[in-house]
Amino acid sequence: MSKDFEQQLRDALQPVDPEEGFDQRVMARIAQERSRSRTKITRWASVALAASVLFVAVLGAHQWQLRREQEGLEARKQLIEALRLTGEKLDVAYQAVNRESSLPADDGSGA
Amino acid sequence: MIMRALFKHTILALCGVLSLCANASAADGQLKIPEFAGLADKAAESVIITLDPSLLRLAARFLDPADPQDAAAREAIAGIKGIYVRSYKFDADFAYPKADVDLVRKQLGAPGWQRLVEVRSRKEQQNVDIYLLVEQEKANGLAIIASQPREFTIVNIVGSIDMRKLHELEGQFGIPKLEIEEKK
Amino acid sequence: MKASEAWSGDELLTHARAGESSAFAALVRRYQRTVYSIALRMLNDRHRAEDLAQEVFLQLYRALDSIDSDTHLVFWLRKVAVNRAIDRMRQESRHDSEPLTDAVTVVDESIADDPLLHRRMTELIAELSPAARAVVVLRYQEDLDPVDIAGTLDMSINTVKSHLKRSLMQLRARVQGTAIVEDIR
Repeated sequence: MSKDFEQQLRDALQPVDPEEGFDQRVMARIAQERSRSRTKITRWASVALAASVLFVAVLGAHQWQLRREQEGLEARKQLIEALRLTGEKLDVAYQAVNRESSLPADDGSGA
Repeated sequence: MIMRALFKHTILALCGVLSLCANASAADGQLKIPEFAGLADKAAESVIITLDPSLLRLAARFLDPADPQDAAAREAIAGIKGIYVRSYKFDADFAYPKADVDLVRKQLGAPGWQRLVEVRSRKEQQNVDIYLLVEQEKANGLAIIASQPREFTIVNIVGSIDMRKLHELEGQFGIPKLEIEEKK
Repeated sequence: MKASEAWSGDELLTHARAGESSAFAALVRRYQRTVYSIALRMLNDRHRAEDLAQEVFLQLYRALDSIDSDTHLVFWLRKVAVNRAIDRMRQESRHDSEPLTDAVTVVDESIADDPLLHRRMTELIAELSPAARAVVVLRYQEDLDPVDIAGTLDMSINTVKSHLKRSLMQLRARVQGTAIVEDIR
C-alpha cells in the first residue's frame, strides 16, 4: 500500500535532535565569544599594524600573500559586522516610524 | 514614543540628493569617539571596529561580487571613507558612562549635522538618534547613537552615504527583514 | 526539571533578555530540534549542521532585544537558520549531492515504515537547489504554508508554489524510478 507521497516526504523529514549536550556547547561558545570580544581591540590593532609592516617585512612573497589574505578576510568580516549593526539600528528607527505612521494621525503626520 | 514622521520623507528626499553625490572627498564627518577605556573588560559583549580608508579598501577587495551579501556590502560602501563602530552590552543597567555617550551627541550639534530621526521608546527604554552631515547638498557623514539601559552603540560613517543602500542591508547578513504587518 | 523548563516561551524570552543564562539555555533546548533539523536538511552534514545551528543561537543571543514574542522567535529562528544555510551553501557552491553517510542515521526507524525509501528521499532532497530545498524543508518538515514560506525566504508566493510543484514532480519521478528498479530486483 503506497502512502500519500507528501506524507512520505513528511515522514522522511521528521525533525531530529542534535547530539546530546548541544545547549551546553552553545552556552560555552557564547562565553567564549564574550571573552574574545574583550580582546578584539588588541587583536584588531595587531592585524592593522601587521598590514602596514608587511610591506617592508622580510618574508617570502608567498607568506606575505597568505598573510595579506588573512587580514583582508578579517577586514571584510569587520566590515560585514559594521554594516549589520548599522542596518539593525536604522531598522529600529524605520520600524518606529512605520509604527507611528500606522496610528491615526492627530498632527497630520501620516506617511 | 516620539518620532519624526518626516523621517520617511526625508530619507526619500535625501536618497534623491545622494544620488547626485558621486565624489565626496572630504574627510569631515568623523566624530571624536571617546576611548571608553576599560569598558570592554566590564562589558558582556563589545564590538570595536575602526575601518579607515586603507582598511576599507582592503576589505572591499575581499568582497565576493558573486555573493549577494558581499555585493550588497560593496554597493553600500561605495564612496565611504571610514566606518567606526563602538558597541557595548552589559549585564546590568547603566553600567556605561552616559556622559561619554552624551559627549558624542554634543558633537552632532555642530554646523552641518542634521538630525534625521529621534526615537524615544519608554516601553523598550530605547533611544535612537540618527544624524546626517550635509555639506553643499551632499551627505558626507552619518552618525547613529542608540542606547538602552544595558547597551549602547555608536556608529560613525564618513564619506558619501547612500542611506537607501544602508537600509537595504537588512535582509542580508541573516538579519530578518521584519515587516510591521507580520507582527499583528 | 528546572523551573525554567516550565516557563512559557514569552517568559523565557523575558528572562533571557534580562541576562539570565539559564533562561537562554532553556530557549536553546526548546528550539534546538527545529534549528538543527533545518540546518541538517539543508546542509546534509551533521557537523556543519551543528556548527550552523550553534551560530544561529549565537546570533539569537546578540539579537534578543529585538525579539518581541515567542511567535516572533520561532519565525526568526526558522528564517535565520534557513537563510544562513542558503548563504553557506552558496559560498561553498555545493549544490550537488554528497555522500550521505550522516543522513542514513537520521531516519527515524520508529515511524519509517520504509527506511530505504526515506533515505532515498533525503538523498534526493539534498540534490535540489538551495532555494527549492529550503521550500521543501519548510513545507514538509516545518509544516509552513506557502504564505509563511514566502515570508521566511523573502520570495513571492508564486515562486514558492513553483518550487514546490517542480520539486514534488522531480522527487516523485525519481523515487518512483528507484522503486521500480527495486521491485524488479
